[in-house]
Amino acid sequence: MKAHIKLGFDGGQQGCTGHGRCVVMAGEPFEVDDNGYNLHRGGSIEVPPGLEEAARYGAKVCPERAILIEE
Amino acid sequence: MESTSDKATYTAPTQADIDEAIKKYGRDIYNDFDLDDPAFNEKHFEIIDDLVEKCPVAHSKVGDGYYIVAQNSLVKEVGQNWRTFSAASGYMPNRPEGVPFLYPEESDPPLHTAWRQSLNPFMGPGVVNDYEDQIRADANTLIDRFIDNGKCEFVSEFAAVLPGWAFFKNVLGVPVEDLDKLVDGVEQGTFSPDLEERGAKFGFVFEYLGEYLKKRSEEPPRGDMVDMIAAGVEYEDGTMSPWEDRVSVLVDMTFGGIATTTYVMASAINWLAENPKARQLLIDDPETYVPRAIEEFARVFAPVVALGRTCTKDVEIGGRMLSEGDFILMMYAGASRDPAVVEDPKTIDISRESVLHSAFGVGIHRCIGSNLARLELRATFEEWLKRVPEWRVVEEPVYMTGQLRSIRSLNLAW
Repeated sequence: MKAHIKLGFDGGQQGCTGHGRCVVMAGEPFEVDDNGYNLHRGGSIEVPPGLEEAARYGAKVCPERAILIEE
Repeated sequence: MESTSDKATYTAPTQADIDEAIKKYGRDIYNDFDLDDPAFNEKHFEIIDDLVEKCPVAHSKVGDGYYIVAQNSLVKEVGQNWRTFSAASGYMPNRPEGVPFLYPEESDPPLHTAWRQSLNPFMGPGVVNDYEDQIRADANTLIDRFIDNGKCEFVSEFAAVLPGWAFFKNVLGVPVEDLDKLVDGVEQGTFSPDLEERGAKFGFVFEYLGEYLKKRSEEPPRGDMVDMIAAGVEYEDGTMSPWEDRVSVLVDMTFGGIATTTYVMASAINWLAENPKARQLLIDDPETYVPRAIEEFARVFAPVVALGRTCTKDVEIGGRMLSEGDFILMMYAGASRDPAVVEDPKTIDISRESVLHSAFGVGIHRCIGSNLARLELRATFEEWLKRVPEWRVVEEPVYMTGQLRSIRSLNLAW
């Protein structure tokens, strides 16, 4: 049983550059701005229950590998 | 030399590898690679796979020489670090003198940032979705023209036209009648074996788009990307971007917008002709499989084969020492065929749940048009399969390869 899963977003040099793949492919729990940048880059969020799979999927399809999963 | 544990270490190919390469490709691709060698066109995937598997950092002696990294982690290392691997000296190895730079592609921050911040809103996922109905209608208009003939030459009658229309009608606002001229200019400016011809065609595109931008700057604004480019951006020193920079940006957008998607689209249609199971998946459940197929096709049919950077200092990459001023190519096509990140990378499988690829680049210079390209591909697969569910390839397709890969012709019948 997972108590929680947290998404970490790397906002540094090797972080989100606005591909927008996370939200397009995995939908919630990802949110991007009009330019495709993840709203939470440089920070982290708690993933709401039921969206764990989507979160892991979004992390997998990020071309920059900027999304870090913390279980 | 001490090396960090998580980095790949340079392993030179063995003499047997080199001998085999010379036998197979007529060239030592590890120590004397050449983008423009006909073998790189004909044995494209084999050569890329050999570079990925046997030589993380290859070398070319062509002209001033250049290096090539092909593995995913190394391509990321270069692409994500513009301070060490600068884009400001251009993406072409052995750049011919006098070729104007394309902004923001061939620039670094802060100039790059100033332009990207202004351009991104015109190409984001939300904005381009507004073009969907137009693009689907255009796909059907093209299919209408030849469907009753029972055959078509897919490149000239569809794959080279749809991305052009999508870009001209929705983004640029130039007349679609001028598409052929611009496609020719972009193609020959990129692929012509004659370097002088390349320069001349490149010049034509600059001239045409320069005049268009001038005309638009004198017209009432339409609120589109062209208006923004014509108005310019403010640079870090407080000055407005010079006129020639603005033309350069428009040329860059056009090069990206019309030259690349054609190859993915046509290669996919070529592959799907012989893969009825994949076709059926796309017809039965487009919502699941079309997005996956788009990523998979972009992975294996990477139109941007490799782009270059210039080292700003002596640097170690993949265990090999490069010097300040050395030119290095990131082989995106290789990064997407690296077994370290893609399981069974040589197999095309549109049902892969997640596809990690580098077809649109990595780092701050990532392709700005990726969302539009994906939309064009989605519209194509869905509309084409509705109208032409079965087709066959009646002639071997013809490809051209350099830094980009392109398809010249694909004759289909149904």
